[in-house]
Amino acid sequence: MSLHADVSATFSADGAESFHVDAEIEVEHGESLVILGPSGSGKTLLLETVAGFHPHDGPVTLDGRRVSDTPPEERDFGFVFQDYALFPHMTVRENVDFGSRYHGDTRDPDDLLAELGVAGLTDRYPPTLSGGEKQRVALARALAVRPAVMLLDEPLAALDVPTRQSLRDDLADVLADATAVYVTHNRTTARALADRIVIMNEGNVVQSGTPEEIFYRPESPMVARFTGSNVIDLDDAPSLRAAFDVESDDVVTIRPESVAFGDDGDVRGTVERVVREDATNRVTVAVDRVTIETFTEQTPAVGDEVWLTLPESDIHVCRQAAAV
Amino acid sequence: MATSAETRFSLSGVKRNSLVVVFVAVQALVFAGTYTVGRPTWYAFFMIASTAVTAFALDGDRFTVALATMGSVLMVALALPLFLFVSRQVPSLVIEQALDPGVHRVLYLGVYGPLLAALASLVFGVPLAHLLSKGFPGQPLVESLVDLPLVVPHSVAGIIILFGFGKGGAFPSISVLGSMIGMVLAMAFVSAPYAVNAAREAFESIDDRLEYASRIHGASRWETFRRITGPLAVRGMVTGGVLAWARAVSEFGAVAVVAYSVSFFYPFEGGEVTAQHAPVFVYNTYLQGGLEQSGAVAFLLLSVSGIIFLIVRYLTTDTTTTGGVV
Repeated sequence: MSLHADVSATFSADGAESFHVDAEIEVEHGESLVILGPSGSGKTLLLETVAGFHPHDGPVTLDGRRVSDTPPEERDFGFVFQDYALFPHMTVRENVDFGSRYHGDTRDPDDLLAELGVAGLTDRYPPTLSGGEKQRVALARALAVRPAVMLLDEPLAALDVPTRQSLRDDLADVLADATAVYVTHNRTTARALADRIVIMNEGNVVQSGTPEEIFYRPESPMVARFTGSNVIDLDDAPSLRAAFDVESDDVVTIRPESVAFGDDGDVRGTVERVVREDATNRVTVAVDRVTIETFTEQTPAVGDEVWLTLPESDIHVCRQAAAV
Repeated sequence: MATSAETRFSLSGVKRNSLVVVFVAVQALVFAGTYTVGRPTWYAFFMIASTAVTAFALDGDRFTVALATMGSVLMVALALPLFLFVSRQVPSLVIEQALDPGVHRVLYLGVYGPLLAALASLVFGVPLAHLLSKGFPGQPLVESLVDLPLVVPHSVAGIIILFGFGKGGAFPSISVLGSMIGMVLAMAFVSAPYAVNAAREAFESIDDRLEYASRIHGASRWETFRRITGPLAVRGMVTGGVLAWARAVSEFGAVAVVAYSVSFFYPFEGGEVTAQHAPVFVYNTYLQGGLEQSGAVAFLLLSVSGIIFLIVRYLTTDTTTTGGVV
């Protein structure tokens, strides 16, 4: 099943300015689309709008069949919520089996729970489960109805790091052949799970493309910063300007992992910060009036003078005019 | 060294229960002693002092002791009259009233009428509560109307009902004055806010995402209410019903104005009988028979209400709604 949605909706709450979501997404059959964006960018509201939880304008179609005029229960979606949304008064098995009453062809709850590694929980109630267990049960509940499209709203966000990594691996298996829309603010998760990525900001789609395009060819400084690239305004880095043939109002972006760190290179800078991240160090180096991040297994000291190499093939130029 | 909070919370359940039993037993013994020697005032001071000492022993913090001491003054005001009321009953008079068929009718009506009012409040109040929990244009107006009976003197409420539904009002074919319908209407008028507000709070406490999860996995709005929202809010609904029932049981003003005495079907005699709502009957007995006689009837009404209240509380504990886990 392919999904196409071009929706707009306005949300208002007491004491807050109204928020407008106006976005178009398209997911091909068997594809995992990740909606990536900062908190408050409207990605969850977009997902909920596509699901039919909020009134909206614009079409939502499944394989060309318009479902935007139908209630959520007739849209043929499965939904996994960030905070699980398991029914607390039902056992795990009853939760997973919830949709069987409304769908002709559902999967066996026990098989699903076993597949997801939580077979022993069938008679437990959700409040007695850990976060990881709850999310596996929520995933089973969504998969049980054999939905045409899976909608997942930051399902890993509330979990601790080991549980998140474990469940992310399982999700990668589950979503391998599924048509899915996955909302997250975590770029690592996005890269791990996405066939394509949509970047949202302030209720709008600001870029869409493959993970390669999004991470290595961001169309604006906002996308570059959010996806973790270095954003370098060459006006503030005269020692770098000489190396690149770009116009004065352009900025360049480069992935931290593309920047080589060593005793020799294109440009010299001063180590400003060193942060240990698992097996590597994330090092921030000041060059003129900008900072550049890179990863290295070396452990430099703050204040050390170091050389950085920025391969020209990995440098991407984006226009300031596209800044958001 | 353990902090005061750690000390307070380090008491195990068994120790805490034992402490409560000892405290209550001591209170009962001292009350019995002071009552026997005709000095119940001494008990009032003992209750305040013993609460302060217990708070100090448990917590040791002056702030907590001050809170407990101030609170115990209110507890004296609430509990001491109740203790004295129970203690000063004349058993023979209570038994005499308990065997009086007229009192049986009053007690039956005192439970049955409020039950009808509470049911009516729930049947029409729960849908309204659900709407209020979701919000709609003009909601503050509706909320004000729902809460209005809480601030209207109840004799005034009775007059309003007579203007609205009595002679010359809406539904002229329905007799309200002195009828069962009028009595239930008067009770529902003053008790419905309790049912609506308790149910609304219960609905508001349910995460919208539970309803979303139900809908997206196939359930219609009706089914979602039946399988998710309703069961999760049932405790709030029952609480609202019990509050409405209790409020209706104690209603005097509106009922005295609208339905001073009513005819109703009394199953134990297999036909129509006439009786007064219990608070009205107690008041009449007080005027005609004095404090002791009205006290005996009041004691019976209090006992019946207390028993029903405890049964409902027992039936609506956690285990009946969520498998005992939430």
